This record gives sequence, C-alpha cells and structure tokens, in this order.
Amino acid sequence: MAKKTIHHVKHNFFESSADAAAKALGKEGLKGILKEMLLIRHFELRAESAYQQGKVGGFFHAYMGQEAIQTAAVSAMGRDHNWWITTYRCHALAMLNGATPNEMMAELYGKVTGNAMGRGGSMHFYADRMLGGFGIVGGHLPIATGAAFSLKYQKQDGVAVCFLGDGAFVQGAIHESLNLASLWDLPCIYVIENNQWGMGTAVNRALCVQPIAEHFAPAYGMKSYTLDGMDFLSCYGGFHHIYEEVRKTGRPVLVEAVTERFRGHSISDPALYRSKEELEEAKSRDPLHLFADELKKRKVINDKEFEAMDKEQKEIVIASMKFAEESSDPDVTTLEEDVFAP
Amino acid sequence: MSDKMQTVELREAIRQAIDEEMERDDKVYLMGEEVAEYNGAYKVSKGLLDKWGPGRIIDTPIAENGFTGLSVGAAMTGLRPIVEFMSFNFSFVAFDQLVSNACKMYYMSGNRFSVPIVFRGPNGAAAQVSCQHSHCVEALYGNLPGFIIMAPSNPYDAKGLLKTAIRSNNPVIYLENELDYGMKMEIPTEEYLVPIGKAKVLNEGKHLTLISHSRMVHHCQEVVQHYARKGIEIELIDLRTIKPLDMGTICESVRKTHFAVLVEEGHIFAGISAEIGFQIQEQCFDFLDAPLNRVCQLETPLPYNKVLERESQPNPERIMAAIDETLHRRS
Repeated sequence: MAKKTIHHVKHNFFESSADAAAKALGKEGLKGILKEMLLIRHFELRAESAYQQGKVGGFFHAYMGQEAIQTAAVSAMGRDHNWWITTYRCHALAMLNGATPNEMMAELYGKVTGNAMGRGGSMHFYADRMLGGFGIVGGHLPIATGAAFSLKYQKQDGVAVCFLGDGAFVQGAIHESLNLASLWDLPCIYVIENNQWGMGTAVNRALCVQPIAEHFAPAYGMKSYTLDGMDFLSCYGGFHHIYEEVRKTGRPVLVEAVTERFRGHSISDPALYRSKEELEEAKSRDPLHLFADELKKRKVINDKEFEAMDKEQKEIVIASMKFAEESSDPDVTTLEEDVFAP
Repeated sequence: MSDKMQTVELREAIRQAIDEEMERDDKVYLMGEEVAEYNGAYKVSKGLLDKWGPGRIIDTPIAENGFTGLSVGAAMTGLRPIVEFMSFNFSFVAFDQLVSNACKMYYMSGNRFSVPIVFRGPNGAAAQVSCQHSHCVEALYGNLPGFIIMAPSNPYDAKGLLKTAIRSNNPVIYLENELDYGMKMEIPTEEYLVPIGKAKVLNEGKHLTLISHSRMVHHCQEVVQHYARKGIEIELIDLRTIKPLDMGTICESVRKTHFAVLVEEGHIFAGISAEIGFQIQEQCFDFLDAPLNRVCQLETPLPYNKVLERESQPNPERIMAAIDETLHRRS
C-alpha cells in the first residue's frame, strides 16, 4: 500500500492571526461561514445517497474534507468582481458562488431546472462568476489564466482564482499557464488543493519534489504560500493576505493548501489504497468540526445553536432533493438546441 | 469599377479584415507566435503592431496549449480573440482546449458562457514541408459539434468571411493556405461581409458538379477550363464554409447535373468528401446517374519528395481522371 507523505513533508505554513480573521468576519460573518460549510457538507452527503439510489449518474467527486479552502477563498476575496475556476470537484465552489442547492441537485438529477440545464452533471457547475466545473485534469489552467488576462485587458478590478489538485500539477498545461501568467503579469491566484492523491496515486508517486508551491513558484518567478487547508481561519487569513498582495502587484501567486479528502477520488472509488487509520487520522482534523469548535470556543455559537443550524442546512438539502425529483427532464425536442450561441 | 475596387493579395485581405474589426470593437485582439514584432510568419499581420500596439497585437511564446486556452478563457469573460496558429498543425498541441473547452462550452454550461473566438492560420500542405507540417484539419474539427469552419479560396471571400467570423459569438476555425497568401484579386474598398454557411457557384454547368474548397478550388478551376474546351460544362461549387454545410446549393446543382465529383486536399477516410457524399446520397439519390467520385489525399503521411507529394494530393490529372470515370459510368 502506497504511503502518503504528508507527514514527511515539511511545509512552511503561512502564519496569520486567527483572532484578526475572526474579528474581520465578525460574529455574524463567522456564523454565516459555518452555515455555508454545513450546507456544502450536507449537500455532498445527500447527493451521495441520491447517487446510491440511482437518482444521479455519471462521475461524482465529493469535496468533503476540503471545505475550509474554497469557503475561505471566496469569503476572503469576495465573489462578484473575481473569476472563479475549478476542477470537476466543483460542487462547493458553485454553491459559494451563489448557485442554489435546488439548481445544483436538479443538475445532478439531470433535470431541466438544473444549473446547466441537465447538460453538464456533477463535473460542470457554473455561476455568473464561475467558469466551471472542468473535466480534463489541468485543462482549466489556461482558461483561468485567460480570465486573468481578460481582467487586465479590460482594466477591470479583481483577480482570477483557479483551484487545481496535486494530481494536476504534473500536467503540461500548468507549466504553460504559470509561465504565461508570470511573463505577462496576470492577476491569477493558482491554488493547489493538495489532498495527497491523484485518484489512487499518492502525490509522492506522481511528483518529483514536495512541498509543491514552495518548490515550483521560484522557478516561475512567482511568490508561493502554503496554507493549512483544514483550518478555516488560517486559510482565511492567508487568502486575505494573498488577495491584497495580488491586487497591489498584479502578479500571479502559487498557493498550496494542504488537505485531505474524506472520500475516494470519486463515488465509485472505495479508496482501498488508503488505510483506515490514515483516514481516521485525517478525519480527526475535519475542517467543519475544527471550525465549529473554534466558534464555540470563541462563544460565537453554542451547542444548541449549532445543532439548529446543522438541522436547518440539512433540511435545505432535503428540500432540494424534492425539488430535483419533481422537476422535469429536459424536453427531448430541445436536444439539439444551443450548440451555437445566438 | 476603379475607384471602388482595390487589388490585394490574400494576406492583405485577411489583414484588412482584422484591422477593420479591431477598429470596430476594442475587445478584438490578435494573439499568436510572431504576430507582432516579426510582423507575422507569413506577413499577414504586417504593420498591425505599429498601429494597435502590443496590448492588442500580442506575441506569445511557443506554447499553443497555453495561449489557446488563455484565449478561450478570455472569450468566456468578455473578449473576442483572434488566435493565429503559425500552422494549423500546431493546433494539435492545443487540441484539448479546442475540443474540450471551445466548442462545448456554450452548450455544456447551459448557455451561460459563449466563446466568441477565431482560430486562424494556414492549413494543409505547403511546399515540401513533410507530414508534420502538412495536415488538413477540417475533417478532425468538423467531427465536433460547436465549431463553425471556414475555408476561403480567394481574397474576396477571405476578407468577408473573416469579418463575419470575428463578429460571430461562436468558435470559428478559419483555414488559410500558405501557398495562397500571395494570390491577388480585385476586391471592394468598401466594407462587405460574406455570410456563414453559403457556398458559391464559381462556374455554372450542366454536365457534372465539382465540389471543393480552399486551395483545391484552383485545381478545379483549371480542370473546368479544360472540359469547357471540349464542350463539357462543369458546375464548380466552392464551399467557402464547411460547417455549417450549404447542402441546399450542392443539392440544387446535383439535381441538375446528375453527376458529382468531390475534391478535397485532406485524407480520404472519413473526410469532408465522405460527409458531403453521404449527404448527397441521402438527399439526391434518385437524381444520380453514376456513383459519386472523390479525389482526396492518399492514405499516407504526406512525404517530402516533390513527386510523391504532388501525387498523394489531388492534382488536375487525378481530378480529370475521376471526372472521366464518373461520366463514363453513366447508368
């Protein structure tokens, strides 16, 4: 069994003040974040069960375990003046960008009310400022670089934020993108969510050196940051700092958020390559629990409020299943429509 | 004619189209290898850097996957890029961006993100550049829903079609040919457009329909003259747009002549001719007096040797042989 190497890699985590992050968000802001993370988690759990019931088809990649990263990035940088791009593990980012649980669940069910009208499925979610949901590993890096180019060309405020996995980092498209972004001073923040596995291949069996960002960024003349991807406040502080910096410099940055996924690569992957002990150890740092405990410690929320909030989010997702169930399939007569834009 | 016409080379016609559309819309930019400071590998973009500056005439490193995907991303976020491939052979390095992103995005995203972009550059064989630099890509990209594919054969169409392509809200594959860049023609000085999806009958005739596109049209024109001297009137159709295909014009002609020969520079297997031939069979079966015939590139990587290169591509002799065979097989 391949051993993952997370504990053997020395990461220089960016240090930021948890107190400052908590203060910046305020009590209501923190509660809102917890609510979002709970909604993302419940959505994945319920979508999984819908999949098991045969309601959802195709490939399905859950974000469970990595919630702190994208939640922190969107809340720290703001949604609407930036461009957001991610992989096929895209449910959370769509939700953070304003896609509703109803439209997302309906998309998984393939319904006409779905996020992409039932044409994309689990891997292709969108929002007004989210370009996808991209299915080819590494193929979205040039797209994100183009969104940053577009912002600069049109002298618009904002940055492009691109999430990729550790498994994608070995793709050629990454090299071309990082080179172009640095060469042309494009405001793109590339965030490697290092969840230790590219499907079933441990990161140390795919990549010649680690940590990733710290090693590779200097080769592109870029700055790098490493974040503890399980710790929301740490991610928030990091992304806030990075965002301010990129807005000032207009330069791309390479970020590595060290994390764990709590599921296999996809729903059909039982993750036999990972020991139970390893998984349990990872789950002991569940970002959702860590953040909830932090808020309890800071007296932002108590057990009872947490339970109520948890229940409320769960019910929203259950309602979305009903919505999806009751929605119609796309009309077959529309099958060949919209291949071309008007 | 005089004061409203100008004589231009095909490269100049393309350059004018880019220049005029850049004037019209500041979201339009040109990006590619050597397009700016070098003035274009084939001088298509000559002078554009001086006029528009490096912000809109943009030299890239040799990184087709990177700058193609970058431009698809730019198109999704409000710009209207023109991406020049120094040769369409190099688009293969960017194949994923074209196939997975550009042509699928509008549909896949539930109509949220359109991709108004033009991919242009020389396609097909030049002069003895061997097989890695001689490929015809229209059948490859033509297989994918979502692309508009244009292949003009002369300066007039080159300019009018490119202007239409740049204004389209969809990805357009716009195919040029290195050997045609110097072709001269009188074209209007005033602005004009050539519509998408409209073939052109270059020569009217009643005995046989000859269908082609791009550089092969010139061979066909030569062949048409040859037969005209013998009293055989061949109707020559220049497709201009390959996708969407103008089957209306094709069928109208085939129903009149009852014979058809298709000429294509690309390989024979699953080529554009195979598609057109099949559609003729579907739509005009009862009108045909002989089986269809086609002249395409032979099933070999294009060799370097001049004699072999010429023989593996359609040439007037091969086209005439196909026409003779077809007319002799009259049922």
